[in-house]
Amino acid sequence: MKLHTLSIKVPLLMAIGFSIAGTAYSNTLTGDEIVLKVNQRDEGKTLSRNLTMQMIDRAGKKRVRETRSLRKYFGDEKRTVIYYKSPKNIKDTAFLTLDYADKTVDDDQWLYLPAMRKVRRISASDRGDYFLGTDFTYEEIKLESRVSITDYERKVIGEDMVDGFHCIIVEAKVVTPEIANELGHSRREDCFDDNIWIMRKSVLWDEKGQLLKTIHFRDIEKIQNIWSVQSMVVDNHKTKHQSTFSFSNIDYLQPVKDEMFSKNTLKRGL
Amino acid sequence: MRANSLPLLSTSCLLVSVLLSGGAVALEVNSSVALKVKIAEGITSKNSGNKKFEFSAKPEINLNFGNGIKFTTIVKITNETNQQISHKNVSRDGYVSINKPVLVGDNSSIELRELYIEKSIGDHYLKLGKQQVVWGKADGLKILDIVNPQSFKEFILEPFIDSRIPIWIIKYEASISDNSDIQILWIPDNTSHALPANDATFAFQSNRLVPDTPEGVQIAIQPLATPCLSIKNSDVSLRWSAFINGWDLTLNYLYHYDDQAVLSTQQLIIENRIALTIQPELKRSHLLGGSFSNTFDDITLRGELGYSTDKYFIGADPRNSDIYVKGQEVSYVLGVDWYGLSDSLLSLQFFQGRIFDISTVVSKPKVDTTLTLLAQTKLWNDTLHLETLLLKNMHHHDSLLRTKIVYDFNDQTKISLYLDRFSGNKNGLFGQFDSNDRIMFSYEYFL
Repeated sequence: MKLHTLSIKVPLLMAIGFSIAGTAYSNTLTGDEIVLKVNQRDEGKTLSRNLTMQMIDRAGKKRVRETRSLRKYFGDEKRTVIYYKSPKNIKDTAFLTLDYADKTVDDDQWLYLPAMRKVRRISASDRGDYFLGTDFTYEEIKLESRVSITDYERKVIGEDMVDGFHCIIVEAKVVTPEIANELGHSRREDCFDDNIWIMRKSVLWDEKGQLLKTIHFRDIEKIQNIWSVQSMVVDNHKTKHQSTFSFSNIDYLQPVKDEMFSKNTLKRGL
Repeated sequence: MRANSLPLLSTSCLLVSVLLSGGAVALEVNSSVALKVKIAEGITSKNSGNKKFEFSAKPEINLNFGNGIKFTTIVKITNETNQQISHKNVSRDGYVSINKPVLVGDNSSIELRELYIEKSIGDHYLKLGKQQVVWGKADGLKILDIVNPQSFKEFILEPFIDSRIPIWIIKYEASISDNSDIQILWIPDNTSHALPANDATFAFQSNRLVPDTPEGVQIAIQPLATPCLSIKNSDVSLRWSAFINGWDLTLNYLYHYDDQAVLSTQQLIIENRIALTIQPELKRSHLLGGSFSNTFDDITLRGELGYSTDKYFIGADPRNSDIYVKGQEVSYVLGVDWYGLSDSLLSLQFFQGRIFDISTVVSKPKVDTTLTLLAQTKLWNDTLHLETLLLKNMHHHDSLLRTKIVYDFNDQTKISLYLDRFSGNKNGLFGQFDSNDRIMFSYEYFL
C-alpha cells in the first residue's frame, strides 16, 4: 500500500470510528431519556408566527387557512392563541388555550365564533379530537414536535435516515386502552434527530392496530438560536386527507402583550 | 341637525380626525362580500303555497390604521319576493329614524348594519358606533342577551347575528386585574323590537304575546312613542367579568327601556259605541344578572340568570281596562354541553322564568319552563355539519324542531338545508306557528 493512500484511509477509518461511537452513544439512551431530551429543548418564552393551514381531501380539493399564532409562558403556564385571518367565511374565528404545568389539571379552552359573536368555553379533555377540520389532534397542536412522557411505554428499536438526517426510532405504546381511546391511537414510532433532539417523523397506528397517519416535521432551522419546525405535514392514511401547517415570520424575541391571551381580545381580533 | 343623528356624526368626526391626524399611518384594508340566496317553502296543508325567495349581499369593509385604530362597516342589501316575510311587513315604529332600513321599491331594502370605530390603549378599549353587544351563555333563547333589540321578521328562525338590530353604543372595556375586567355601555339609541305586522307569516298569535281584544270594539293603534334622544333617556350598563379558579363569571346590570312595547289604553265613547285607543310605549326596567361556565372532563356547565324589576305581562282577562300588568321576573338557564363523542356536541338546557309581585292573572304562565336539546356533529374534516335543535315548552307542550345540514363545498361556498317544524297549542310560543312548518335551502358565497 502506498503511503498517500494509507494517509487518506487512516483518517477516514478514524472518522467512521467516531461516527459509530456517536451513534452508539445515542443508542445507550432509553426511549424515555430520548423524549426527555426532546422535551427539554428550548422553545422560547414567547413566540409569534404566521401559520398557514392547508388541507387537501382525497379528491384533491384544497382548503387554506391563514392564521396568526401567539404563544407565551406565564410562569409554568403556557398560553396559546390562534387568530384566523382568512378565508372570509371563518375570518376572526379565534382559539385560546391555557396549558397548565400540573398535568392532572385539564387545559382550559375557548373558541370565539364570529357568526355567533360569542366566546364559547369548550371541553379540553378530548385531546385526541381533530383540531378544527385538520388531521392534527388538539394534543398534537399543543405539543407540536414534543411528546407526552406519561402516556406511553417506550423502547428504542432502531435507526433511520429521515430527509437526510440520522434519527433514532423509538416505539411508543399507549399505556392503557382508556388513554388510547382518548388519544385516538395505540402505538407510534417516532424518529428523533439525535443531533438536535427534535422529532423528524412520526407514524401512528389506531386502536385496532391499523396504520392511521404519518407526520413529517420539515424545514427545521435555527431561528434566533432556537431550533424551529417550519413545516408539519400529516397524511391520514385512513381518510386519504392531508394537512400541512407552514410556519413563517417566526419570532421569539418580539414582545407579546399579556392581553393578547384574553377572551376580550379573542372577540376583538388582532 | 336631528338629535338622533348625533351618534353617526360622532363616529364620522372621530374617523375624520383619525384620517387627518397627520403623519404616515399604515393603512390595511380588508373587504369582503357575503352573498346569500334563501329559498323557503311551507310544507303544511295551510302554508304549502307560501314560497319565499330572498337574495342578500352583505359587503364589509375593515380599515386598520396601524396605530391601534380600526374601522368597520357592514351593509346589508336584501331583495325578498314574499312580502309576508319581508322588511316591508315588519313594524318600523321601533327604529329610530337613522336606523331604519331604507326600502327600495316593493321588494328591496338597504340597511346599515354596523358602523364603528375601535381603539385599544393598554388595558383600555373603546368601541364607538353602531354595533352588537352580546351577553350571556344561552343558546336558542335569550335571558341576558337583550342589549340589542331584535327583529322578529322570521320569529327566532334567523341567526341571532342577523336578527339582532345593531344600535348606536359607546362601549368601554378595561382590565381591572390579571383575570377580570369591566364593560360600560352608554346607549343613547332607543330602537326597540321590530315586530311582524298582523298579516305577516310570523305575526304573533299567542295570547302571551298579543292581547285579545273585546269584540265589537273599535280600536285605533297609535304609533310607538319612542323616547327622544337625551342623556336621561339613554340606557346604561355595567358588566364585570372574571376568570377565577376555572370559572368564567360575569355580573351584569342594565338600566334600559325594555324593547318589548307595552300597550296602554284609553277608552272613549264615540257615537254611543266603545272605542279603544291603544298607545304602545316603552317602559323602563332594571336588569340584574350574571352568568357562569366551567368544564369538567367532557362536560361544559354553563348558566345565566336575569332579574327584571319592571316587566309587563298581558292580563288574562281582556275585559280589564289595563291590557298589561306590571310585575317582576326572574329568568334563568342551566346548560350542560357534552363533548364525549368525537367531533360532536350534545347540549341540554333548562330555561325557566318566574313571575312574581303581580296583582292579577296573566297570560304567560307564572312559572314558564322550556327545555332545549341540541345534537351536533361534524364530518369529513369539518366540512359537513349536521344539527338538530329541539325547543319544548313544558306549560303549553308546544315545540320547535330545527334540523339543518350545512356543507362547506369549499372556502367560498356554503350550502345549507333546513327543516323547521312547529307543533302544539296555539297559545304557546312555538305552537302559535303550527301551520308554518317549512323547508329552506340556502346558498352562500363569500367574495
